[in-house]
Formats: sequence, structure tokens, C-alpha cells
Amino acid sequence: MEDIKAYIESGILELYVLGDVTQEEKLQVEAMAAKHPAVKAELEEIERAMEQYADENAIGPSGELRARVLNSLVTNLADDRNFSRIVDPQANNIIPIRRADRSAFFKYAFAACFVLLIVSVVALINAYHKLNDSNALIASLQNQTQRYSNTVSLKDSEIGVLRDPTFKMLRMKGTTKSPASALTVAWSPVKKKVWIDMATADMPANDKAHQYQLWAMVGGKPVSLGVFNADTASKDMVEMEPTPSADAFAVTLEPRGGSPTPTMDEMMVIGKF
Amino acid sequence: MARKRKISLSEEELVRALRNREKVAAEALYDMYSASLFGVISRIVTDAAEAEDVLQETFVKIWNSFASYSPDKGRLFTWMVNIARNLAIDKIRSRDFKNQSKNQDLENTVNSIDEQRNTAYKPELLGIKELVETLKPEQKSILDLVYFKGYTHVEAADELGIPLGTIKTRLRMAIIQLRKYFN
Repeated sequence: MEDIKAYIESGILELYVLGDVTQEEKLQVEAMAAKHPAVKAELEEIERAMEQYADENAIGPSGELRARVLNSLVTNLADDRNFSRIVDPQANNIIPIRRADRSAFFKYAFAACFVLLIVSVVALINAYHKLNDSNALIASLQNQTQRYSNTVSLKDSEIGVLRDPTFKMLRMKGTTKSPASALTVAWSPVKKKVWIDMATADMPANDKAHQYQLWAMVGGKPVSLGVFNADTASKDMVEMEPTPSADAFAVTLEPRGGSPTPTMDEMMVIGKF
Repeated sequence: MARKRKISLSEEELVRALRNREKVAAEALYDMYSASLFGVISRIVTDAAEAEDVLQETFVKIWNSFASYSPDKGRLFTWMVNIARNLAIDKIRSRDFKNQSKNQDLENTVNSIDEQRNTAYKPELLGIKELVETLKPEQKSILDLVYFKGYTHVEAADELGIPLGTIKTRLRMAIIQLRKYFN
């Protein structure tokens, strides 16, 4: 018992409570306390005294520190079943909704773009076809216009021939070779122009290997005024090559393209002024 | 010990609740001991913001390593105040490396801390003057050096130029005075 008293009075228990002992001394004090109730009681007394002394010297930390410390314990808490409410339910809800909104937005935007694209392509194809039709129409109209214009200009010329008093009309008659044939030629010595009138022509149709050739007799010599075809469809007047003078006109059937001199045997019609 | 607290549990209840890691235990722990622990920390770490950081670290460490506390080996507060003191000393040692010139001596520190802070002593603690008178100055300086400043008794002997045996005796006498005073 004296040993215990000496141990208590050695001051080691105070140092133990003050945390000022080696690991070895610490284990020794704990062993002594476990073995001797008196040591344990003395320790308890010292601890209470120091606890109260600390309480006397207490300093209250700032008010906001309480929440900070408790929150830091929350985040350090492995088992957080008591703190589940700390998790902000709003944050938990908002994020997935936002995501859904966003993906829905892009989905609808993509669908809208796709529909627009299809509509645009269809409209473009339609427009393309219409444009093609219009172009074809314009081309045919231009063609027609050109034809009308040509016809008008030809008729103009024909009318010009008829109205021009300088033109002389000569009806060539068939020869013995072709007594039924006839062809009217109009010639203006002033303008040197020569026309033949297919509408009143009475010529057998030529084959592909042959063409009719018009001749002017100038001072007894034949001068070629060009070749022409005869068929039942042709109703126009045809302008031939010009000649300043002519005593007579004649038409011969020549090989296609004409001959430099007339083949007298093939003379179809002839007429003299 | 009639201090009014927000949450107060008996030590046995508190220990049980802490073991179960109940939220109320964390709150009670803070409400019951933050001021006492902060008093110790503040006398070692003089910067208020740093002292609060240390207090936070202290509670985190208490909470996380609570499994290593055993009531058989002593009271809860004894275990906690050692954690607080060691963290506070770690803090100033890392800082004192940088500015050793700013060290102050102990009495000055304790007094200036008490002056700087609004240490709102509770009316029921008006006996503090009596307590101070209870302890002789040489007892108080040694006790505070070891308890509040984290000196070992060997360092305190060096600091005060007093033999080790005398240090131990004065410490014991100081604590016996406190025991008498509180009883």
C-alpha cells in the first residue's frame, strides 16, 4: 500500500493526464490503474480537475464554426444514414430533368431539321422539273417564233416580188421531153434578182440522185443560177442566184449538185422574153 | 458545471452515441466540448482563424478515430484534449519554422489571448479570481506551460530553470489545489 501511495505521489499520474509520458510509462500507468482502484480513483480525480480547469479557461469559438465543423464530420462520415437529408434533393432532381430537356430539345431540333431538309429537297426537285419544262417550252416557242419569223420574212419577200413593178414574170413551158411541165420565174433586171415560184410549179418530183438546175441564156450562152428540188409539198417562192441580164430561162435535170453546162437532152421547161 | 448547452448528454450516453456515429453525438460533442478545447488550442495557436482550423481538425480526428478511445483508460475529455493539444502543437511547429521571431513567452501569450478575445466567462464562473488566487504563480505558470502550451515537463524545467523533481512536485501541488478548489 505504501508503494501505491508513493506511486501516486511521484507525480506520474499528473503527467499521464497531461499527456506528458512516454509510451512505456503510459502502458505502465494504465496497468497500475487497472490493478489498483486507488490509482484509478486518483487518475479520475486529476482528470476531472483538469477538465474543469479547461472549462474555466474555455473560449467559445465563433458561431459559424459549429456548422462548419459538423459539416466536415458529415463529409467524413462513412455511414451517413442519419445525414441523407444533407444531400440537396433539388440538385438531385434538377440535373436529370435538365438533361432530359436538353436531349429532348436536340432530338426535336434534329427531327425538325431533317423534315425541313426533306421538304427542301422535294421542293428543289419540283422546281428543277418545272424549270426544265419551262426551258423546253421556251426553246419550242423560240423555235416556233423563228419559224414564223422566217415564214413572215419569206412571205414578205414573196409579196415584195409581186408588188415590185421591176419584176417580170415568165411562165416556162414544157419541152417535148416533158410537155406537161411548167414553172414561173420572176426576174428583175434592175435588182438582178431571180425567183422561182414553187406554188405554181408543175414539175415531176426529182429523185435523190438528181436536182433541177435553172439556167439563164445570156447572149446565147447558158449561165447557171443554182439548183432546186421539186416536190408536191413545196409551196414557196425560192430565190435563185442573181443575173443582170437574160434572154431566156430554162431548167434541166442534172446530177445532184448541178453541172457546169446544161445537159440539153434533159431540158424540162424553157421560156423566152 | 452548470453551463447551459445546446445539447448535453452524460459521458456514457455520449460515448455510446459516438460509437454508433449518430448525428446527435456529433452535435453534443461539439456543444459540450468545443469551448474547452478551443480554450486550450487558442493558447497554443494565437491566430484565431488558425485556431479554428485546428479545432475543426480536432473534431474530425476525434470523430474518425473514436474507435481507438477506451473509457477504461480514462475520461473522454482527457483523450480529446491530448488530440487537440498535439494538433495545435503540430500547427505552430510548422508555422514557427517560418517565423520564430514572433514567439512570445507563455504568460504574455495567455494574458494577451484573454485580452484579445471576448472570453465571455459565465457568471457562475466569477470564482475564477479566487481560482487564480488558489494557485501560486509558480504553480500556475508550470501547469499552464504543460497543459496549455504543450511543453513537456522536461522542456518546462529548461524554460524555467527549475530542477525536474521540483517541476513534478509543483505540477502535482497545482493539480491538488485545483481538486480542492473544484470540490
